[in-house]
Amino acid sequence: MYIDPHIHLVSRTTDDYEAMRKAGIVATIEPAFWLGQPRTEVGSFKDYFSTLVGWERFRASQFGIVHYCTMGLNSKEANNVPLAEQVMELLPLFAGKEGVVAIGEIGYDDQTEAEDRFYRLQLELAKEVNLPVLIHTPHRDKKKGTTRSMDVAEEHQVDPGWVVVDHNNEETVKEVLDRGFWAAFTIYPHTKMGSERMVEIVKQYGPERIIVNSAADWGISDPLAVPKTAHLMRKMGIPEEHVRLTTYQNALTVFGLSGQMDENDWLKAPSIDQTKKLGGNSVLRGGQVPRVEGPADRVEN
Amino acid sequence: MASDIEIKSFLRKIIENRAEEKSSSWLGQKAEQTESSSSNSTFFLAFSQASRFFKKENLELSTEEKDQARNLAPGFDPSHWDLLQTARTCLLLHFPQEKEKWFTAINQLFETGDMYEQQALYAALPVMPFQEELLSRAIDGCRTNMTLIFDAIALNNPFPAKYFPEANWNQLVLKSIFMQRPLYRIQRLDERRNPALADIASDFAHERWAAGRDVMPELWRLVVPFINEKFVADLKKVLASNAQLEVEAGLLALYGCESEVAKQLLQGHNEEVMAIEYGEITWEKIGRDFQEKKA
Repeated sequence: MYIDPHIHLVSRTTDDYEAMRKAGIVATIEPAFWLGQPRTEVGSFKDYFSTLVGWERFRASQFGIVHYCTMGLNSKEANNVPLAEQVMELLPLFAGKEGVVAIGEIGYDDQTEAEDRFYRLQLELAKEVNLPVLIHTPHRDKKKGTTRSMDVAEEHQVDPGWVVVDHNNEETVKEVLDRGFWAAFTIYPHTKMGSERMVEIVKQYGPERIIVNSAADWGISDPLAVPKTAHLMRKMGIPEEHVRLTTYQNALTVFGLSGQMDENDWLKAPSIDQTKKLGGNSVLRGGQVPRVEGPADRVEN
Repeated sequence: MASDIEIKSFLRKIIENRAEEKSSSWLGQKAEQTESSSSNSTFFLAFSQASRFFKKENLELSTEEKDQARNLAPGFDPSHWDLLQTARTCLLLHFPQEKEKWFTAINQLFETGDMYEQQALYAALPVMPFQEELLSRAIDGCRTNMTLIFDAIALNNPFPAKYFPEANWNQLVLKSIFMQRPLYRIQRLDERRNPALADIASDFAHERWAAGRDVMPELWRLVVPFINEKFVADLKKVLASNAQLEVEAGLLALYGCESEVAKQLLQGHNEEVMAIEYGEITWEKIGRDFQEKKA
């Protein structure tokens, strides 16, 4: 079983969902992010947030995948200040919803003043609603941006054990782990990390507080990055327990702090078709085997 | 309809008998705050966070409780409800029913609700105030592709039969067929059958046949009062099916038709006709069997 704790499923096809399920992914977390082009109206954010807790969750369930999400204003769009202010008013409405496991992804992109302002406001929001934080680290000036993200989180007295710093690489990982934050790695075919480099990092640093994700979205990316990296780890002789921690358990541990993510959600998942449950058919399978959905659960379109 | 005070106390009792003490007292506290607070955010937050206190466990209502529900509002049937949606409905009924403010808040809930929140909202239509003005909301809700939400409006809910104009009603029934939902759980289905719906249902069956697919057996319930040559031909085809459930549906439809041709078609099926007369083959039984087979 795997968890992909960072994937933008609104951009993925049903083929992806089927392949993910087949590869053993049982749960996913979809961080609220930007859509590849900037939004110009607050209503677009409202509908996007609604999709994350509504339609996309339902879509995932049809393929036997449990879908969680994080809520937040991303750093890129934080630069449209009048719009960002309206989005901030919207966020409390969604932050408390079922299956929202963190505030994120938030942090820096260009490291502007506006980004800083909304990052800080959202750290405060996370504390208020008692949720972990998912930090997006910048592509440019990454090392300094990562350090700054952690400095500011500490300044706001957010417990590092409640913060996942995402998109790490060989240059950032040591400091993140040393300071007690969780270090997530995004496996991208061309940019960010490759699976081979990931294996080396787990070899060097061990499995503690390290998390692998695909961050698959509308760009070139691979929704099977987590299982593929796990296979490579095994092939390269990394102990099974370390594979389990980095591709399943660590994500569950930290995002589970939200109280919104529980292993039973996929181990004892009820059918989406209520009649089944009422018909008295058992949906429980023995041991650690998650429920497999069938085509009967899918809605024709 | 009974007063909202009676409905609230009915729901509260149901919850108190099933939920943990601390969850019940949380609800009591939030309900009170929802009533008295000047801002909507207390209500919104409580509505969302109810999921932290209540499980999505079926209420398993007793016969007595089901009867009580029906007496509170005509057709009110929370027998398929879970504890969480019951708690959410309770909160909703505690929100002050001052029309303009009420619609602002409820619209906001509908527009930002997650799957289960929307399920709770739509299923609660029969106990909401200002029902006539919720018609377009309910019709819009039927456009969903999320089974859970569609079911909340279409099944075990008196709202559509009471308020939907014929065209929207027909769409609801057809979409139920399309999504293979159990038609026997649509309230007052027989009463609101109409020639247009019977026609479209038959057309849909022909589309399925043309594509080499099965037809949901409950569909034939819709043609019964409007039996004509075309429908007789359809039902003959149904009787020739290898699937027992389809044959039963065809026979049950013919049994209900007031036509000589229909009576003739029943001949040679004595065993099933007897079962119909003894109430062993009913639309509900066929619907249940179909849903189980599908699962």
